[in-house]
Amino acid sequence: MTLDPFVAIGQAHNLLQKLGLELAFVDPLEENGLDSVDGLVRQLESVLAQTPEPIPTALLVARTWIDERLQTDGRFSATTIARFLVWQPWLDAAVNAWEDLAPIPTLPAVWLESIEPQSVTAASAPESQQAELNPNAVVKVAVPNTTIAAALVASPTSVTPSVLIPAAGSEQTVSVIPADSDVEMLQLFCAEAQDLLQEIEQGVLVLEGNPTDAGSIDSLFRAFHTLKGNVGIMKLNFLQQLTHELESLLDAARQGKFRLGRDAITVILGGADILKRFVAELANQINGVEPGRSIALPIPAMIASIRSLLITGSIPVDSPSVAPVPVVTAPSAPLPPPAPKASPAATPVGGAGIVRVDTLKLDGLIDLVGELVIAQSMVVQNPELASISSAHLSRCLSQLRGITTELQRMAMSLRMVPIRNTFQKVARLVRDLAVQQGKEIQLVLEGEDTELDRTIVEELSDPLIHMIRNSADHGIEMPDARIAAGKLPTGTITLKAHHQGGFIVIQIQDDGRGLDATRIFAKAIERGLVSADHNLDRRGIYDLIFAAGFSTAERVTDLSGRGVGMDVVRRNIEKLRGKIEIDSRAGEGTTFTMYLPLTLAIIEGVLVGIGEERYVIPTLSVRESFRPLPGMVTTVHGRGEMVNVRGQLTPILRLGEHLHTPFNVTDPTQGIIVVVESGQDARCLFVDELIGKQEVVIKSLGDTFRNQTDFAGAAILGDGRVGLILNVNALVKLQQARPVGDTAV
Amino acid sequence: MNTTTPRQPDTQQGVTEAKPGKYLTFRLGNESYGIPVLKVREIIRLCPITPVANMPKHVKGVINLRGKVIPLVDLRAKFGLPIAEENDRSCIVVTQIVAPRSGTRLYGVIVDGVEEVANFLGSDIEPTPDFGGSIDAQFITGMAKATDGVKMLIDLDRISAADAAAASDIL
Repeated sequence: MTLDPFVAIGQAHNLLQKLGLELAFVDPLEENGLDSVDGLVRQLESVLAQTPEPIPTALLVARTWIDERLQTDGRFSATTIARFLVWQPWLDAAVNAWEDLAPIPTLPAVWLESIEPQSVTAASAPESQQAELNPNAVVKVAVPNTTIAAALVASPTSVTPSVLIPAAGSEQTVSVIPADSDVEMLQLFCAEAQDLLQEIEQGVLVLEGNPTDAGSIDSLFRAFHTLKGNVGIMKLNFLQQLTHELESLLDAARQGKFRLGRDAITVILGGADILKRFVAELANQINGVEPGRSIALPIPAMIASIRSLLITGSIPVDSPSVAPVPVVTAPSAPLPPPAPKASPAATPVGGAGIVRVDTLKLDGLIDLVGELVIAQSMVVQNPELASISSAHLSRCLSQLRGITTELQRMAMSLRMVPIRNTFQKVARLVRDLAVQQGKEIQLVLEGEDTELDRTIVEELSDPLIHMIRNSADHGIEMPDARIAAGKLPTGTITLKAHHQGGFIVIQIQDDGRGLDATRIFAKAIERGLVSADHNLDRRGIYDLIFAAGFSTAERVTDLSGRGVGMDVVRRNIEKLRGKIEIDSRAGEGTTFTMYLPLTLAIIEGVLVGIGEERYVIPTLSVRESFRPLPGMVTTVHGRGEMVNVRGQLTPILRLGEHLHTPFNVTDPTQGIIVVVESGQDARCLFVDELIGKQEVVIKSLGDTFRNQTDFAGAAILGDGRVGLILNVNALVKLQQARPVGDTAV
Repeated sequence: MNTTTPRQPDTQQGVTEAKPGKYLTFRLGNESYGIPVLKVREIIRLCPITPVANMPKHVKGVINLRGKVIPLVDLRAKFGLPIAEENDRSCIVVTQIVAPRSGTRLYGVIVDGVEEVANFLGSDIEPTPDFGGSIDAQFITGMAKATDGVKMLIDLDRISAADAAAASDIL
């Protein structure tokens, strides 16, 4: 049968693609892989029958390899897979060349050896042969995969573990971005791998509580399997072995051959961490951070520990920490061994019909919706339209308003993600900390489904982790100390999130030793942060821990206590336009409460007027506003004006003067004072008038205004003009050096 | 006839010579300037400007371009030209610049009047002469000879980058 060359080329491409997929998923120990590859090669043979040399020879080579496997055990060997992984791209290139009427690449000489001595067996295939073909594959392929199978089925004594386990801590240096790779594919790979790793981490944590949860084991197995496939497609050969070993471990667990103890979970988490490090580095490099850099990953060591675990770990006697075996020992509630879907939180079921959208597109959409809302309000408030008294028109306008509001709400919700993932990260952290420090800590999560802006969630992660570390490290005591204090040996950290009046409130609560006000105060004096005669109330003292360079930890651990913590936390929270409060009781525990805006895109602001200009002050920073009575404002000689706000003298900043903008009011009793706060500091902003409260969409001011600190952004106001959003933190901290006008009352 | 290949730049402070092509020319005071037409997004009438305090005096403030907040600069102030009264020919050229940090951004420029889109060949463009340090020529990429005079070709990317880099240097 002769095919039209164009049809043949199309079909060949198709088949080669399928072959590539097949090869990526193929498992040396499974029988089905070989059959499908055999079928695909057979089809390629018929499609490419009319091609010039050396394509037919290449097909003959492939046939030889397959036949050789079929004659032995009918399964793929690692060597054959490695060969096909080179063969498939070669044939693809050859077909391309044929299509372009370009010279077809020559056949690698080593392949020809496969056809001459027909009876070559897989075992005798020289390894140097692969080295020539695919240097990446060598390290991995040379390791016989069959040892795992042997370890699983045969008795442990039949394999000498020392042969298998390389020196602990051995690392493998890998170049992160594979050669000739497609950036878009890599991005997709990264995104998916991150999701899968997240899923794995969650699953593992569920398993830790319930080692026999079949649903979690299954989902973990599937996740590693998918990862292995993806890694194969991306030709990241050095990761393939690792994912494969992890998959084998879970497969053994799935089939009940192996019980996942604490060691196994640590190993799985460790393996996932290696993958996570790689994916993070890859994502960085795709984004242009030191592309081409190589990183060292402890892959061989990890593979070794997985293997030794598979061989020896099936007898859980080596360490007491492996003890929790619920099947037998669970005293109160005997769980049936295969607990199908035991915990509902185990696997978040992949939501039906989820679409991945480029965040740039999403941000563009949200910008446009913001503009639409403004345009809508410009139409509705248009004075010319207002003069038309038509019931029909006003009905249409109110419908327009309704739809725009709904649209805006919807668009904003697109950016919202549940805080669950961040909380899960914390769960992992608490587990590690507890193990590391020999403490018993229980983490209670509440309100994981609370949604907030994606950017906030991302930015929140670091400060949250830091505070949890603080709670676990400094807050929760050692079990014996807890018992001595009359508490349960297990400490509890509660992490909860909820909505409260337009804000998200996130609370971290521990039942540890609490903050020691006298010690903090003494430390602060010692560090020169306050003077000894400083009069501070309890909260004021607690706030000192947010000062830069403060740390009361007696011993510096690698976790926390370097004194660079809480001030960074506060700065990060303030950057998100949020605030943080502490409450604590000695001996009973500490509570950190963070108030965060729902979204970064919109803020609620107080609109103030100075001359012709209008400025927005974020509502969260506004304590109060009033028109001062005569006598409330005093001029402090040479230093500026102060106003007495409920017994507290607060400095005044005349905004009009500070911003060099014309202003109408100079007499304090004719204008308005807005008291704004940042942390514990407050300042009175003096403005001409108070216009109202308004929700505004925040726009960045961009590079041109990077060096100014007066404004945090801009917003389009209802009349289409731009209003600037004041940077309250900077204004409050402004030095009082500016000479003040001579007006005083 | 001149040579057809553009002359190599007599590099002064790393100034690259302007490439031949289409330029939008506009007036600032009595002088004519040109920017690559591909950089121009649109030309709009003067609109209400929100001043931003404590910025160099050539940064007039920000404007609302259909929901986007974009900075507006007055090149007359930047180049030390006399500030002319705004007339009905005054307008804002909205350009697209490449910022070192945030990528492509919009940047508004007030001009005293737009002239035309002119096609300058390589032979029309001469490198910036050395003014002996009396004139800051670092933003001028070349001088184009047109029928009605000489147009100074300027690099807006560099101007905006200079604004962002150090406000104090410009003040």
